[in-house]
Amino acid sequence: MRRFPSLSPALAAIAVVCALVSLAAQAPAEARLQLQLKQLFPGATTFSPKGGDPPHFKAFNGQTLLGLAFWTTELQPLERAYDGPIKILVGMDTKGILTGIIVVEHHEPYGNFSVDTPGFAAQFRGKNIRDAFKVGVDVDAISRATISVTSSSRAIRNSARLAARQLLTAPTQ
Amino acid sequence: MTRLAAALVFAVVCACVLARMPLHAAAAQAQPAGNQWQFNDEDEQAPGWKDVVRSQAVDLGVFAGFTVLALVSFFRKDKTLKYVTLAACVVLLGFWKSQLITIVNIFGLISLDLPIFRYSLAWYLLATFTVVSTVLWGRLYCGRMCAFGALTQLMDAALPASWRREPPAWLERRASFIKYGILAAAILYFVVTRDRFIYRYIEPFWMFGFHGSIVMWSLLAVLLVATVFVRNLYCRFLCPVGAALGVLSNLTVFQIKRWKECKTCKICEKACEWGAIQGPKIIKSECVRCDDCERLYTDTKKCPHWLILLKDLKKAQPTVAAPSR
Repeated sequence: MRRFPSLSPALAAIAVVCALVSLAAQAPAEARLQLQLKQLFPGATTFSPKGGDPPHFKAFNGQTLLGLAFWTTELQPLERAYDGPIKILVGMDTKGILTGIIVVEHHEPYGNFSVDTPGFAAQFRGKNIRDAFKVGVDVDAISRATISVTSSSRAIRNSARLAARQLLTAPTQ
Repeated sequence: MTRLAAALVFAVVCACVLARMPLHAAAAQAQPAGNQWQFNDEDEQAPGWKDVVRSQAVDLGVFAGFTVLALVSFFRKDKTLKYVTLAACVVLLGFWKSQLITIVNIFGLISLDLPIFRYSLAWYLLATFTVVSTVLWGRLYCGRMCAFGALTQLMDAALPASWRREPPAWLERRASFIKYGILAAAILYFVVTRDRFIYRYIEPFWMFGFHGSIVMWSLLAVLLVATVFVRNLYCRFLCPVGAALGVLSNLTVFQIKRWKECKTCKICEKACEWGAIQGPKIIKSECVRCDDCERLYTDTKKCPHWLILLKDLKKAQPTVAAPSR
């Protein structure tokens, strides 16, 4: 009877390949992040590295703070959509107005990937974080993606408000 | 033995899911003193059950209504009502809601990434009904709640029977194992790569949302053309969700009754659209509870069980039977 070859060399090889791939992916990921931050704050000249509590990036034009950017998955770690968390980069100016959102990673299948479309992201640009973010009221409903859309909206609103409470001074009305 | 194994697997999966199911929504964060932003904090509080139900009332109504329809058609063994169910299924759960149980849900179970219970009641209703009904009666979900299965069954009813080609029994039996291979391969692929997007190439359910690439639409066209000649091709031989429910269906509590005459009679075996009857035995994992054989075996004019019984009755009481001629 033929014996099966031992699995451990194969597993070791796979582990090495994975490690190399993740190392190689580091540099482009950083470059991509800079592009995404730039997309949320076109007027910014520099971005701080991520830091603080809750974790955020600061966007500067020279010395002037233009706003903050943060990951919904870091500020609202318990939020779940149809298939796990939807990773969204949110940009917000110092007055609590969203400068935009970028859906960076999600696993939503079928119609649920409608959160990927430009139309979904566009409706959050210029939105005040005092708004209710209720799907069907001030956020467009997508009939085949109810779970994904409601989850994303909650994640964006709650993480933006958390960041605002902790890091920004409310503008006088 | 298979029942015991299936029961064990089922118990373990249930325990894992219940342990990890996100029953509670994220708690609203503590408000720092002097809430200068004056947000409407109610937005962020997890909504009470009244609000939860109200905001999902349409979805819940659709799913509950449809489930009732499916169950009524099942228990009444009514053919017309079954086709009404199938048509409703394609329209409501298919094109309108695109809500099908999919391999992605199996991936979700493996990685324990399930939707938040409170915000996804309709999905949990569908998923729970699918699992419970499969344990109670078998692959009822496949037979009347899956929109793609409903579509191919309607296709089969609409197309002339003469176009149909039945695969020989030996081939059919072997081909029905392909779906288990696909399920195992998909799970292995997912565990290794964590890539869920393979679903597009092993399931055609995206068609209800019209989201497809040229390759996907071409594959679907081939599948549908093949389905014209071999009915319910996808469900019988290829569907990984069907395979998973097939494993679960080994537990079936309320099975289809058989007469002792079923040992020799072939009427139901020939009539079965799903190739689920082999001699006296019903292959539980292939049966989708379509009612065809159950309608036959209660038919006193066609089923030998009743015909023999009537003959014996006449023999036993010849004088009573004679004048009625």
